[in-house]
Amino acid sequence: MRIRRSRPAAFVAAACALALTLAGCGGAAGGGSGEGSGGVALDRLRIMAPASPGGGWDLTSRTAQQSMEKAGVADTVEVFNVPGAGGTIGLSRLAGERGNGNLLMTTGLVMVGAVQTNDSRHTLRDVTPIARLTSAYEVIVVPADSPYKNLGDLIAAWKKDPGSVAIAGGSAGGVDQILAGLLAQKAGVDPTKVNYVAFSGGGQSLAAILGGKVDAGISGLAEYIGQIKAGKLRALAVSSPTPMEGIDIPTIKQAGVDLSLANWRGFVAPPGLKPDEKQALIQAVEKMHGTEQWQQALEKNNWKDSFTTGEEFKAFLDGERKQVTSVLKDLGLA
Amino acid sequence: MDSLELLLQGFATAISPMNLLYALVGVTLGTAVGVLPGIGPAMAVALLLPVTFTLDPVSAFIMFAGIYYGGMYGGSTTSILLNTPGESASMMTALEGNKMARKGRGAQALATAALGSFVAGLIATAALAFAAPRIVDIALSFGPAEFFALMMLAFATVSAVLGGSLVRGLASLALGLTIGLIGIDSQTGQPRLTFGVAQLLNGVDVVIVAVGLFAVGEALWVASRLRQSGHGVIPVGRPWLNRSDLARSWKPWLRGTVLGFPLGSLPAGGSEIPTFLSYSLEKRLARRRKEFGHGAIEGVAGPEAANNASATGVLVPLLTLGLPTSATAAIILAAFQQYGLQPGPLLFDKDPVLVWGLIASMFIGNAMLLVLNLPLAPVWARVLKIPRPYLYAGIVLFAALGVYAVNAQLVDLVVLFVLGALGAVMRRFGVPLAPAVIGVILGPLAERQLRRALAISQGDYTVLVDSPISIGLLGVAALMLLVPVVGRFLRRRIDRGEQTGSQERAEAPAGEEP
Amino acid sequence: MNNEWLRGRAELGLAALVVLIGGLVLVNTATLETPATVNVVGPRVFPTVVGAVLLGIGVWLGIDVLRGGHGEPDAGEDVDLSRPSDWRAVASVGAAFFTHVALLRITGWLIAGAVLFWGVAVALGARRWLRAAGVAIVLSTVVYLVFSHLLGVSLPAGVFEGVL
Repeated sequence: MRIRRSRPAAFVAAACALALTLAGCGGAAGGGSGEGSGGVALDRLRIMAPASPGGGWDLTSRTAQQSMEKAGVADTVEVFNVPGAGGTIGLSRLAGERGNGNLLMTTGLVMVGAVQTNDSRHTLRDVTPIARLTSAYEVIVVPADSPYKNLGDLIAAWKKDPGSVAIAGGSAGGVDQILAGLLAQKAGVDPTKVNYVAFSGGGQSLAAILGGKVDAGISGLAEYIGQIKAGKLRALAVSSPTPMEGIDIPTIKQAGVDLSLANWRGFVAPPGLKPDEKQALIQAVEKMHGTEQWQQALEKNNWKDSFTTGEEFKAFLDGERKQVTSVLKDLGLA
Repeated sequence: MDSLELLLQGFATAISPMNLLYALVGVTLGTAVGVLPGIGPAMAVALLLPVTFTLDPVSAFIMFAGIYYGGMYGGSTTSILLNTPGESASMMTALEGNKMARKGRGAQALATAALGSFVAGLIATAALAFAAPRIVDIALSFGPAEFFALMMLAFATVSAVLGGSLVRGLASLALGLTIGLIGIDSQTGQPRLTFGVAQLLNGVDVVIVAVGLFAVGEALWVASRLRQSGHGVIPVGRPWLNRSDLARSWKPWLRGTVLGFPLGSLPAGGSEIPTFLSYSLEKRLARRRKEFGHGAIEGVAGPEAANNASATGVLVPLLTLGLPTSATAAIILAAFQQYGLQPGPLLFDKDPVLVWGLIASMFIGNAMLLVLNLPLAPVWARVLKIPRPYLYAGIVLFAALGVYAVNAQLVDLVVLFVLGALGAVMRRFGVPLAPAVIGVILGPLAERQLRRALAISQGDYTVLVDSPISIGLLGVAALMLLVPVVGRFLRRRIDRGEQTGSQERAEAPAGEEP
Repeated sequence: MNNEWLRGRAELGLAALVVLIGGLVLVNTATLETPATVNVVGPRVFPTVVGAVLLGIGVWLGIDVLRGGHGEPDAGEDVDLSRPSDWRAVASVGAAFFTHVALLRITGWLIAGAVLFWGVAVALGARRWLRAAGVAIVLSTVVYLVFSHLLGVSLPAGVFEGVL
């Protein structure tokens, strides 16, 4: 009896002690937030990362958060994660926050595809486009000992027997498969015959290519560049519109197929914003884009700056949606 | 010994009072967060990663290694003490560990887990330092067909946890496979069993399954049959391992390490597989097999070592090839990139200081964890002295918190409760829980690998037995399934000859309801 | 008599559940569209196999029960197998849990967490309700502050938005 009475108290005391320890640690280890500079436009800004911590959207959101705090665009900038279903769960959440001018969501090409493949209730037309931030490009590779020396070789084999060319890439309906579908469309290969093998991440598809289990692979350039430079993979083409600085790989266009594809990321905001609320968000993002910290982050993460805001971004988004919808339909995914 | 020299240099960089402090902070933070069900080492590291950004790379990696190992150990702690696996890789630990804890041997279970993790961490880190390039070559020879064979082997280990009734064990496995089907089909993007609920498109996280069946299920089951009089307070027992505990633990530690490290380095994910294999191996090798299901220390020592070794194995493809093969590895990759480093074939040549600093940090992280947790094991074990209502309320609270924290979805909480109800029903009718969790983990992996293999071969099924690795793995799987059946059959015949019925009962795998 | 017979065979309900889930899987799978880009093994094969296995095991389990087989309920020092099921306690735990879910986004985690803890503790036999409430509030406050503020886990603040 005696023991039982004293336990909850001991438990609580232990919990408090733990809390204090953590408080001490957190204070010692955590960096302070940046000082505000210039007028504060928003009192509180929240950024939704529609993915789990650790992914690309999460990284973009947290990098933006740090730069925004530095730029002092709001008193507090907070990131929260709403992962699931290629970001469409976050999208639905955002669409439900009608009129909330203190909220941004990170988005990208992947979400345009996911909206289609998942039959999402809400689309990117239901939210307010704010800005495109970064672009990254895709690369088409083959194992170093592959008989395919250039994109032409690969397409020739592909045309002869589409099924015999197994192409590894990321999840079904993602950017990698979109590029495979677009390439098939443009090269005159029946997209439904493409033998696309979906892996659950760049690492796993890369292992399959390096091990010679598949004939070719498609992924983000950043994920494969190390292997390409080390000579373990042969890069056939990159998806950028013009040759990339310092990277000796032909573009898909140079290889003879009129196609380019950017895996872009940007911000959207809830629907139903007043013009001045929308403007405030655009200004906040512009301010962030101007910070040295953001520019450094771009360089560090190998993100290409492709900053556009407002109407221009909206028009771009419409174009992307049309292209992606058509290719996913051809692939039988939408 | 060029590598050795570099490693020593790494230690020279890593060991400074400040860095040791960071290691301590990392281990503490990691353990604290890892205790939450749902938040495993990957999540812990992802959440705490921003903290390390302000530090220089070596200090950051030291803290990071501390968080990582701490997070893993935190998960084992709740598995053992509260029967609440914080992540799927520590489910096997819960099976025997919690039985030990309920017998007043919680401190021993925690100590063998801590020591086993330490031993496995040391050996695996050493293997990483000296043999990584060779191991990665073997790892790359695994394609979808070989992985499929490995999954079949892992499935065979289910037989170790099926419990006394075959049909009930299989029912549990089939229910798990069904839960594993929920979500988007990975190859074609078709939604399966989602019934129009968008939140189910990504599938039901295995953590929710484990926490729901084990933790919430236990609370509901206890509620339905609450013992009214005289809750026996669980004895905390003696701290420290005695000689016999050690004698029974050291071989499982080593075997777990040998299983965990190479399997962890395979680029297909599935960190739980080594723990399944280790548990089933220990059960087969144990001299006191009857103790399995009632708190056999081997069943804690082996899987814990396997878990830790496989976590280190993940770094093999990451450091040598830049291949992030698991969620945790992807986060480590992100951490590297924060410092402008690209892991890959060139990393060992380009940044030897950092790589060896990291490897040295892992030694330090492991050591720090041991220093912190071995003396604390008896203290943690005292958690069981909390009065039952508060203890279960706390378990349910932390289960709900952990599950919500991962995805911030209310739907996940509803799923958690539904699975809890299922867990309670399963307990009521003597259906073992572990096969269900194994089904949830292995079902989707096996399906994906099989379909990938057949897509690449364009429908030629012989691809599945095309390599010596596949044939070997499938052969071992067949042996694992057949040997006990044949053995039981033979023994039954002997029994009949001797006219004693008692042995048959003892031979059936002892009830293992966790 | 009939009642008695049923009580001994409550497990038939479990067998029925397994069969039901199997049927559900098969029906759901039958309605799946198979996209034009079909890999050799499509998205339907595995669910069909699993559905069929569930049906088979459900029937097997049913037969096993009718023949007198039954699973040993999970024992433990906190459960008393000689007692009949206490549905009130189970319902209370469920009520506490769903109140937590309902309150989470409205009042924030702190209050919702305290309600959950208190509800489960009382359902599981904490006799001093007030003390349980005190423990619940202190615990959930500490947990909230630690996880939300120090570790950056995002938990709904609710009514304490901007205060804590």
